[in-house]
Amino acid sequence: MTQAELADLSRILYSPVTLAHYVGAAVVLLGALTQNVDGGKPAGGVRGLLTRRVGLALAWTGVATHVAHEVVRGLAQSRLPLGNMFEVTSLMALVGVAGGLWYVRSRRRDELAGFVMLCGTLVLGLALLMYAEPGPLMPILDTWWRHFHVSLLVGGMGVFAAGFVFIALYLLADTARGEDGRGPGAGGGRVHGPDGPESGLAAEPGSVAVATEALTAAALRARIPAVKLAVGTFLGTSLVSWVWAVSMDPTADGVRRMLTVNATMVVAALVARHFAPYLPSTDVLDSVAHRLVAFAFVLWTVGTIAGAMWAEQSWGRFWGWDPKETGAFLAWVAYAGYLHGRATRGVRGRRAAWIGVGAFVTLMATYLVANYVIVGLHSYAGL
Amino acid sequence: MSGGVPDGSPSPARFVWGSVGMGWRWLTRMRTALWMLLWLGVLTAVATVVPQAPNVPSTVEAWLAGEEGPGAGVSQLLLQVGAFDVYGAPIFLALLLALFLSLTACLIPRIRAWVRLVRYSRPPLLRAGSGNIAATYVTSRTPDEVLDAADAQLAASRVLGWPRWRVRRAETGEEGAPAQVAAETGLWSREGGSLTFHLSFYVLLAAIVFGQLLTFEGQRGVIEGEPGFTDAAVSYWMYDPGRWFAEDEHTGWRLDLDGFAVDWIRDPLAPGAGQPTTFRSDVSITRADGTSFEGVVEGNRPLTVDGRKIHQLDWGYATRMIVREDGRVVHDAFVTTQDRTGFFAGAVKAPAAEPDVGLELFLYPFAPDGPDGPRLTGAPWAEAPILLVSQWTGDLQLGLTQQFINELDVSALELGGIGWLRPGDTLAFDGPGGTIEVEFAELRRWVGFQVSYRPQLPWLLLAGGLLSVGLITALYAYRRRVWVVVDGETKDGRTLYRVVGRAFQRQDVAEEEHAALAAALAGRLDAERVDEERVPEGADA
Repeated sequence: MTQAELADLSRILYSPVTLAHYVGAAVVLLGALTQNVDGGKPAGGVRGLLTRRVGLALAWTGVATHVAHEVVRGLAQSRLPLGNMFEVTSLMALVGVAGGLWYVRSRRRDELAGFVMLCGTLVLGLALLMYAEPGPLMPILDTWWRHFHVSLLVGGMGVFAAGFVFIALYLLADTARGEDGRGPGAGGGRVHGPDGPESGLAAEPGSVAVATEALTAAALRARIPAVKLAVGTFLGTSLVSWVWAVSMDPTADGVRRMLTVNATMVVAALVARHFAPYLPSTDVLDSVAHRLVAFAFVLWTVGTIAGAMWAEQSWGRFWGWDPKETGAFLAWVAYAGYLHGRATRGVRGRRAAWIGVGAFVTLMATYLVANYVIVGLHSYAGL
Repeated sequence: MSGGVPDGSPSPARFVWGSVGMGWRWLTRMRTALWMLLWLGVLTAVATVVPQAPNVPSTVEAWLAGEEGPGAGVSQLLLQVGAFDVYGAPIFLALLLALFLSLTACLIPRIRAWVRLVRYSRPPLLRAGSGNIAATYVTSRTPDEVLDAADAQLAASRVLGWPRWRVRRAETGEEGAPAQVAAETGLWSREGGSLTFHLSFYVLLAAIVFGQLLTFEGQRGVIEGEPGFTDAAVSYWMYDPGRWFAEDEHTGWRLDLDGFAVDWIRDPLAPGAGQPTTFRSDVSITRADGTSFEGVVEGNRPLTVDGRKIHQLDWGYATRMIVREDGRVVHDAFVTTQDRTGFFAGAVKAPAAEPDVGLELFLYPFAPDGPDGPRLTGAPWAEAPILLVSQWTGDLQLGLTQQFINELDVSALELGGIGWLRPGDTLAFDGPGGTIEVEFAELRRWVGFQVSYRPQLPWLLLAGGLLSVGLITALYAYRRRVWVVVDGETKDGRTLYRVVGRAFQRQDVAEEEHAALAAALAGRLDAERVDEERVPEGADA
């Protein structure tokens, strides 16, 4: 195959193939939740379990086609696909989805896979907004330092994104259930077994009819005000998506892109609201989010240090407050605030979650601002 | 925290002391530290959005002039509050100082407590409510055998040759507790990691501060094939030594540029069209003692000479311009032109002419002849270079106004004429002092080199290493306790024992570890697990 044919193949593998798989997996996995009576545990019957298996198969097939896309793209341009914003964001989605699926599997929380896929779909779509044809790399980027530095930071961003999803889900679940929804071990240690029946639907497994289940779900859902959620999501997303409105030419295109992103996030938030009653306990969500953020923070720290080492080698200064460096530092400080707030017991629960949301907004805004708005040393072909 | 406030009798000294104490306690509170971290973030956010003078002085000037950004008025306000140099502003330095003070005040008691902990701490005995993970077993061994086995089991687990657990054996009645083996671990690692992480900031700060004082950075342009420069204070175009860097620390080596290779993807339809593909300088270095060697400077490969790193910063075309006034040569030198996107700009200043002569140069590297004269493609490769010259006469104002090497101050100059030149061509202009001949004699390239000396790098690396290792340890190490306690006997004379655990962090991992430990111990004792509800009759707690 010629380079051009490989390039075409890689594009098709990305969209529609991988995109369709991710969307399909998200729909099926979230749908499977409604078939389970005991929020998460498929105690209600085989049907939910079967649907979930189909969804997971779709998700992993999507991961496979995504990997295939990366490989073909790499072949088409004879280099690792880590050279521009599209490639970075695409890999961020791959890391987020594969890592997220693996993580919920290892924690035996497969019911969360649908939300992982929802997040993966969003990041995959975000990358599509920055699509760039395969091309060669600038010689300055052609060094193993780049793999080290960029892959750590991209991995960090992917895991931060997954962490953000769980923080958002925590907020949704917490709003839906309030105080009464907390598991019996809230605040302290749970008594034996990570898989205790701590679902907010305090139902005896297998004994609740599906009709009652649907009623309870509706009641829980109703506690999340839809309009407030939609408006809040729209405004919150605007904190990041304004970058397109400001930086694109003509401005109308930028505004259209901003509104597209905002609308997508609002839809995603409303979908998440619909499935909020099937979420596991707030404790589980909180702890998953915290573990993810902690892991991403390590990647981010080491990746930033690696970046300083590369900068000393390449530009002759290790740190120069270049916009991207400043942005990376800002995100680091924001997430340090999140982790520190939790570690020192001062900040917990919803407040910690909101700090986490703010940190993610900071991360994404600085990522886009430093790439699209401000020209700095890092502005190579939009990386 | 320190600084006790005496009770409120109204004496000025006491009031001051009380205020200081209050201020100190406020400063050292964790909540204050978090707020300061937030403000650090806010300042950094400002520095992300507002251009910073040390990085992009030209953008800052454009903001102040109102050509870019939010307008001249807002920019003036930003200038007043120091937003154009956030990291040099007093408020940033004050915040940094306060953060480090707060950190120090927080760390001193923590270090003392940690040292006491790792030196003297003994695992506490099991009491009601101590543990939050428990499993009960029954075995035919005697209570002593159970405790011996637990002791051995815990002692067998080692980290880098050191025992993992601190183990304490207690006989019945000690501190009023039943016979048991108590163990604890994670005392060193968890808090130690956190302390290492925080202490690395002092290494980082010291490396940055002393680095600023000891460092040196200089920049100098060198033309291909022309004499280069010697490492000495006077040779650099831009010279930025640290306060403690002495001029005699220059080692006096000499750099000459033998050749510079630069190329691009020239096919406009190819992917990545216009991207550079090569950027490399071949240089000769001659040390002060006369020994010399040849080296290469490339994008990610600086050349190191006597501990100084040599980087390529920028490059441009160097045009050799000969200017004659009535046949008398008044200027014959290479002019370094700078990339202005699409063309390269430079200037000739010839005060030797009477009156002064100045030339503005605009070089178009790839401008092949077309039907309507030269076609300016904007491409940077010098396949068909052409030079647009505007010739000025009058007063260059050298020494009177602030001058840039690449720009003419035309305020006291008069335009004499404009013309195009290919390499080797000569143009003649009529000037007040006679005929001005301008010859475009030769085209070469020049490279801007940066020479830097940073003795702080190993220390920065150390700080980065401590920070990473400390962080990973602080996030992933966890402190936990385990107790093996004999609960009594069953009616058939078998021993009933419990394995109890408590994790201070990472409950889920601790549960897995606890299960593995309990299973291994059960293996040693041929014990079988019994659930709490099914404890065989006759057991007494």
